[in-house]
Amino acid sequence: MHEMGIASSILEAVRKEQLLYPGYRATKVGVRIGEFAGVDGESLRFCFDAIVKDSPLAPLELGIEARGGDELDLGWVEFDDAECDDSAVEVAA
Amino acid sequence: MIQVPVERKVLSENDRVAAGLREALQSTGTLSLNFIGSPGSGKTAFLERTLQMLPQGTRAAVVTGDIQTENDAIRLARYGYPVRQITTGGACHLDARMVEKHLEGWDLGALDILFIENIGNLVCPTSYDLGEDAKIVVLSVAEGEDKPLKYPGIFRKAELMILNKIDLLPYVPFRPELAREYARRIHPEIDIISTSSLRGTGFDQWIDWLNARRSRKCDREVLHACTR
Repeated sequence: MHEMGIASSILEAVRKEQLLYPGYRATKVGVRIGEFAGVDGESLRFCFDAIVKDSPLAPLELGIEARGGDELDLGWVEFDDAECDDSAVEVAA
Repeated sequence: MIQVPVERKVLSENDRVAAGLREALQSTGTLSLNFIGSPGSGKTAFLERTLQMLPQGTRAAVVTGDIQTENDAIRLARYGYPVRQITTGGACHLDARMVEKHLEGWDLGALDILFIENIGNLVCPTSYDLGEDAKIVVLSVAEGEDKPLKYPGIFRKAELMILNKIDLLPYVPFRPELAREYARRIHPEIDIISTSSLRGTGFDQWIDWLNARRSRKCDREVLHACTR
């Protein structure tokens, strides 16, 4: 199942990207998968979720954009300001 | 929340190693071919017959991949060329780092052709660049002729399709013209050669393709590395 190796490569890329943005936390990574890339999106998501949950990057969501060629590209990473934790904010009614 | 564009290959680390391999093989004028096909498509037998039929003086070597066993390396080593086995222990494809590691200690300058036999699989090996000059897909007539439609990725990327085991055609309901049509539907420029490794059928055409491909590489690459 080469999707596991690909999931590991995505995590490694996010880990490197994370180092460039101290104070922020990666929340989602977007990949583009071409129809001829030989990669099954659902298998990739399964593998990604399996390895991310035990990694320092958890929780991290995988976004998949289907494309037409044979590309297998990392497109973007979304970051939240780690010091601005929405869950800690109480909204006064 | 901020979204940062990254815009790079997911397998950029593999691609980095593959680029290094390609550069090394280009500097020595070594033609590198990556064979991909289903388990049982006849890749090893095809390479055995190829090694038997290479023009005298051709300096070739083989790196062969399998999940377990060194059986293929033992078979291929009988023909007097250097052979190394990559045993992946479960991985369904070779990657550039595995190939790089198994080329260590070989003088690439002393090689005209490097054959890489990938793990038997039509999907996973397709994603991994091994620094090769060309991917070659091996399809046997014991499979379905619609494999090019079912696994378009490799047929799209391969420069050549070997339609193998044609000695079995009288015994199987395989329509070779349909397989060719499907392959060209996916990749109109793909070259196709029909072979029987058992009988040697089609191997003159294959050796001609190999020589032409090597000449084409030498025309493009460092000419002094291609003196033979």
